[in-house]
Amino acid sequence: MSRQDVAADRVLSHTLKLGAYAALALIVGGLMLQSVAPWGAKVTAGGLLVLLATPVLRIVVACIQFLRERDLKYALVSFGVLAIVLLAYFLGVQA
Amino acid sequence: MALAAILLLMLIGFCAGGFGALAGVGGGIIITPLLAIYFGLPMHQAIGVTLLCVIATSTATSALYVERHVTDVRLGMTLELATTAGALIAALVAHSVNRRTLAVLFACFLLYSSGSMIKKAWASRNAKREESVPDYTPRNYPVGLAASFIAGGFSGLLGIGGGPIKVPVMFLFMKVPLRVAAATSNFMIGVTAATSAYVYWGRGDVRTDIAAPLVAGVFAGSMLGARISSKVRSFYILILVVSITGWLAIQMIYKLLTGGFQ
Repeated sequence: MSRQDVAADRVLSHTLKLGAYAALALIVGGLMLQSVAPWGAKVTAGGLLVLLATPVLRIVVACIQFLRERDLKYALVSFGVLAIVLLAYFLGVQA
Repeated sequence: MALAAILLLMLIGFCAGGFGALAGVGGGIIITPLLAIYFGLPMHQAIGVTLLCVIATSTATSALYVERHVTDVRLGMTLELATTAGALIAALVAHSVNRRTLAVLFACFLLYSSGSMIKKAWASRNAKREESVPDYTPRNYPVGLAASFIAGGFSGLLGIGGGPIKVPVMFLFMKVPLRVAAATSNFMIGVTAATSAYVYWGRGDVRTDIAAPLVAGVFAGSMLGARISSKVRSFYILILVVSITGWLAIQMIYKLLTGGFQ
């Protein structure tokens, strides 16, 4: 594994952690707020939306890392995955 | 929702996430049947909620496995081309599949997963811990992509991660070390589940009141599970998880035979 790959793994891992902790904090905070304020439910739903967004974020970050390594093949592969996931998003919104 | 219900859902999520991370299966195969059998949720809703739990497991465990360089991001990304395509098609079709058919398929998948875990437990009873990952080059991409497409389809249809399909294929046909295969599958299931989750969410099949406490529990459980997984004998964990999935399979079949899941 090259030094660039090791660095890329670190960035990706930090992205995943950030998404996980942000979603968890919003959900738990929202659940506690819900009992005293009705808008707490919106915070909870926001946490779930952050959760739903992390997979897209991890593809984007991986894609950027591949581009920085000049690894066009895998940048293109990531872009393909991103296209399918975004297609699912738009089909889901329409449904 | 009542506080007791919220705490119960958090506990279920914690256990499913923890055992899932320790046994190397997504918590999905435990959560969907629990919601469908004991909480009376329609199958489509149970699946929609579980998809969010699968994303949570994947995000929490991958953060650690990617950091430890066990995940093969290139391999995962390549196979995701197939899993997301399969998941998207299946999620679009799932709406017109009736609940009983989904329940029958799910019960079959539970039995299959239980069987593969028993095999894994038997193999791991005296196994020494793998310390380092040997060098490898993934082979047989066509077989891997085909299996990933099918695994993605099951994910979109049943809300599971599809690990029990992908991991053996990566290990046996693509000649990827087992630890790398498991970590890479964990990485992939989040993206696969998100693809179907968008469709389920758009249709209103994701109950946020039930998903939120479950997801919080799954996050905490799988973070802890992934962290201690190298220190725990997987044999006992596998036996425990097989007992749970076996029990749930029996319950599902019983409910099907007595006319449930309408």
